[in-house]
Amino acid sequence: MAPFSGDETAPFFGFLGAAAALVFSCMGAAYGTAKSGVGVASMGVMRPELVMKSIVPVVMAGVLGIYGLIIAVIISTGINPKAKSYYLFDGYAHLSSGLACGLAGLSAGMAIGIVGDAGVRANAQQPKLFVGMILILIFAEALALYGLIVVSILSYLNKYFEASIIILNAQSPLNNISLQSINSRAIADLLSTIAISSTK
Amino acid sequence: MSSSAIIAAHSSSWAAALVRISPYTFSAIGIAVSIGVSVLGAAWGIYITGSSLIGAAIKAPRITSKNLISVIFCEAVAIYGVIVAIILQTKLESVPKASIYEPESLRAGYAIFASGLIVGFANLVCGLCVGIIGSSCALSDAQNSSLFVKILVIEIFGSALGLFGVIVGIIMSAQATWPSKF
Repeated sequence: MAPFSGDETAPFFGFLGAAAALVFSCMGAAYGTAKSGVGVASMGVMRPELVMKSIVPVVMAGVLGIYGLIIAVIISTGINPKAKSYYLFDGYAHLSSGLACGLAGLSAGMAIGIVGDAGVRANAQQPKLFVGMILILIFAEALALYGLIVVSILSYLNKYFEASIIILNAQSPLNNISLQSINSRAIADLLSTIAISSTK
Repeated sequence: MSSSAIIAAHSSSWAAALVRISPYTFSAIGIAVSIGVSVLGAAWGIYITGSSLIGAAIKAPRITSKNLISVIFCEAVAIYGVIVAIILQTKLESVPKASIYEPESLRAGYAIFASGLIVGFANLVCGLCVGIIGSSCALSDAQNSSLFVKILVIEIFGSALGLFGVIVGIIMSAQATWPSKF
């Protein structure tokens, strides 16, 4: 077996990150759609004219699936070791991004489902509650957006990491050690010093 | 060579374990999960919908033929799993024994594995979601026939989740390029 640098298995974590992003977001979207859909169907028996207005929680849950789809496609097209070196750092960053987006979407979907179910049933009996239901649904949707914020911060850190590789190579020309075999922990220390020095 | 030995001591223990597993293991598990778990989701959805449909049709037999569409939506989820499993199977290539553990073939194995996971579990939750909504659709249609089309709109939102899984699975399977055998 050829000697390996550990970065060969980085795509495993990267692809798993994309999988986590999509699967958990779809779980949240499915829960939100199903739970609020049952509420809409039950409510619609008595008040059929309110059904189209009550589809709002279903649409908001569907949006969570789209968040997961976008992040999963971005992650999986970003794993291309032939075009750009893919270190263990990148793999772990992608895994963390995917888990952040996916699990945030799962929790947001559960919140949207339960609130939507209760909201549409209550809206059928008291029409003034529609605005209140929408407000609570927006707060629940914001939870998924928090996950997207963390994803964008993680991808920003990735740029710091690439810059630190270039700086490290420029400082000490490494003739016999290839870029791929640089210790990831040394890079993490370097980028933390770069991050601290850049905030000064 | 010595630099690689030093690096091998520092690299992650996950990597040390993963690099010894054949990429064909991961590919095979991915293909199996993509079809098996999709069919599980479809079956789960069909029995949730079907049992409610039959029960509701006791007093309202007119709903049976219209509400079979919910069962068909669940079945489509299984078809997605079959399609992606066949696509992933065509991505499998045999490489010479010396290059099985090359980085490129390892990556191809991981890509097929993750693609199968994505499609399988996305279809699982999609089938469940469509099944639950389909059962509510049948029950509300039995009481008020104007509700059928409106609840069907919710079911279409639910079935889009399986399509998301198929889209990402196929995009990711394009990354499954094996090293060329010369």
